[in-house]
Amino acid sequence: MKQTLYSTTLDNGIVLLGEQLPGLESVAIAFHPPAGAVHDGPGRCGLATLSGEMMLRGAGDRSSRQIVEALEGSGVQWSQAVSTSHASFSGAMVARQLPTALPIYADILRRPRLEEDQLENARQMVLQNLAGTEDDPAHRAMSALRQLHYPSPWGMPSEGITADVERIDIETVRAFVAANVRPAGTIIAIAGRIDWDDFVTQAERLFGDWNTGGAEPVRTAARGPRVRHVPHDSQQTHIAVAWSAPPYRADESYEATAALAILGGGSSSRLFSEVRERRGLCYSVSAGYQTLRDCAAAICYSGTSAARAQETLDVMLAEILRLPGTLELAELDRVKARAKSSLVMQQESSAARAGGIARQWYHLGKVRTLGEELARYDRLSIDSIEAWLTANPIRDLSVVSLGREPLEVPLEVSA
Amino acid sequence: MKFLHERLDNGLDVIAEVTDSGLSTSVGFFVKTGARDETDELWGVSHFLEHMVFKGTVDLSGDEINRRFDWMGATANAFTSEEDTVYHAAVLPEQQHEVVSLIAQMMRPALREEDFTTEKLVILEEIRMYDDQPPFGADDRCRAAFFGRHPLARSVLGTVESIEALPVEAMRDYHRRRYAPGNIVLAASGAVDFRALVESAKRLCGDWEPQATAARTVPAEPRPPGLVSTIEHITRPAATLEYAVRMSAGPAGDDDDRYAAKLLSVLLGDESGSRLYWSLVDSGEAEHASCQHHDFLDAGFFATQLSCDAEDVKELLARIDEVYAEAAAAGIGRPELEQARNKLAGRVVLGGERPRRRLFGVGLEWAHTNTYRSVADDLRIVENLSLEDIHRVLARWPLHGPSATVLAGPVPADASLAAGSTAQ
Repeated sequence: MKQTLYSTTLDNGIVLLGEQLPGLESVAIAFHPPAGAVHDGPGRCGLATLSGEMMLRGAGDRSSRQIVEALEGSGVQWSQAVSTSHASFSGAMVARQLPTALPIYADILRRPRLEEDQLENARQMVLQNLAGTEDDPAHRAMSALRQLHYPSPWGMPSEGITADVERIDIETVRAFVAANVRPAGTIIAIAGRIDWDDFVTQAERLFGDWNTGGAEPVRTAARGPRVRHVPHDSQQTHIAVAWSAPPYRADESYEATAALAILGGGSSSRLFSEVRERRGLCYSVSAGYQTLRDCAAAICYSGTSAARAQETLDVMLAEILRLPGTLELAELDRVKARAKSSLVMQQESSAARAGGIARQWYHLGKVRTLGEELARYDRLSIDSIEAWLTANPIRDLSVVSLGREPLEVPLEVSA
Repeated sequence: MKFLHERLDNGLDVIAEVTDSGLSTSVGFFVKTGARDETDELWGVSHFLEHMVFKGTVDLSGDEINRRFDWMGATANAFTSEEDTVYHAAVLPEQQHEVVSLIAQMMRPALREEDFTTEKLVILEEIRMYDDQPPFGADDRCRAAFFGRHPLARSVLGTVESIEALPVEAMRDYHRRRYAPGNIVLAASGAVDFRALVESAKRLCGDWEPQATAARTVPAEPRPPGLVSTIEHITRPAATLEYAVRMSAGPAGDDDDRYAAKLLSVLLGDESGSRLYWSLVDSGEAEHASCQHHDFLDAGFFATQLSCDAEDVKELLARIDEVYAEAAAAGIGRPELEQARNKLAGRVVLGGERPRRRLFGVGLEWAHTNTYRSVADDLRIVENLSLEDIHRVLARWPLHGPSATVLAGPVPADASLAAGSTAQ
């Protein structure tokens, strides 16, 4: 499949990435300044999220309301989010609206007003979202697992902690934005019906003379205990399990991804077959690969009624530990087929591609072509995955349960 | 983009929207059956049957079905609603025949008792899972209150009791009656080889016996004007926020005002940039406040959803009513209409680019109305909506008029809030 990828770096360090997608009328663009939750700092968990919210509440000549009206009046589907590593401001639109949208995003990144009279409303919004996540047991279980598994602050919840969010003042927000929303480390990715040269010219004009910021390096602390029960009054108990995997930039991350797909990636995966299909223990069960810049995790999840939760955990652990030495070629063939399909189907979505190329640049410093990705999947073999499993035995599991009663976790898996 | 249609001798409709530039092929079997076609004894059978369809045929085990989907690299799933049961998959174009063949075979499941017993446990887990999540059953309870004796009152999942009591024979009989070829549409979108699709359908589905299926629409006004509003309360001591669902009458699926109703709901209650957003969410008083219009064959409603701190729920519901009353009294301005229309038009264009999303639009429209609308048709409809259309909808279907409301959350029922029945 013919693929047209572009990249260039402005003098101030902003990376521009593009992919032309034939047949689409739309264009999707995403701005990723390096203002992620990992820079929150001790006692200020949620600062990046609050700052991201504040950036939308007035920028340049526009008020909060005028920003939303200008974007939505042009049919831009916009969104804003904060992850561990970045803040993201994205929009998908009919291609002819791009010249209208770009200057608005330039204002949000470069000229956010950060006015004190918006702070309380923004804070209340972040606190409301936090309260909402308290009512989502699966989210809480996964969040607790990340805090257990990743060394601090990489596992801290980007949505924040209520007590911290309550005491962040406007000066702290302004200092955070000044230090972290900066050209060096910012990725701007665009995909769909694009005119690359024209886009680079506009980006130069809007961002070329931007020279601010300078964040402090992140201090990584030790990780905590490996097993935790979170009491919650619910009918179901939620189980989340993690162990270490290589980060995305390591070549063997493909072996790890494939092994996890065999374990719990599709409806013919081992966890789905054994836990749901054969025993009817749950509605949802899965395994997958999740990566940060320098560390990554294999993650398994299931939710089931309290009375059957111990059996569910036991079967999950048995399937996890059974993986080395038992992989079959038919399983790998199915994983390859699924990966190939999903790589090709991504090309139908401008938003998916804008996200995809930005993610690859962050992890690899380059964008892999579809051809390179498919060729790497073709090189996967039972031998290469088994070799990886032998060199990286599954051990030191982090286990979280959330529900009425704690579960028994065998000492040998989490020691 | 072109649309093609052929009807087999036994009544099965085969339709496709073919996109020349499509990289994938999406196919779906749209069965015209859902919760509204059930009785008290069969409550939840449509959704349970949807699960059982994946448990195998006389010749294929459930494991084999799962393996074949994964081997094709298919993104496959199914869903059940009040009116439809849909089995769908997206594949690369070279797998078109394989995937149609597999789902076609699945449409004639073995419905083995042993599988039925195991899968019942999964359904019960699914019910518990949703019961643990916001809005903690308030949506189902509200639909029941709003529709009263209308068949749309029934929830899709059923209840723990109705699922536990359901015998396998009842499911087999339901399947015989409802999965007749005249009650199914085979739809495809994206890179579709239509001739091959029709050939596959003839070979795989041509021998399905035609059957007469009962009429579905019920001439009922779920909530006639003048009826008093009701409020119920579900107490969940462990919940952090209070959740409210409110339903009021709106245009049905055969009413031309349904398009204006959708635009009105974007304008009043979209998740961002709407009147509810600026009034309740921007200030951080509500975690969520939205309004959506839903239409069915013979009924429609506006659903308002709110989540906020428990102590604020009463005040914020009153404020939502003020927003609605203000819109009805003072009307909508032209700039606001323009903004909502551009927003909706953007969604139509972007959604139209994804064959996997188009499948549902094209398939459901045909299943409900036997008509096809292209993306360009949808765009024209949106662009032609006028202030007059919006104001007519506001007058015909007053959002601040009679409604059913259900609250779920930490606070016990408040006597001053409850105008109608109260249940725990």
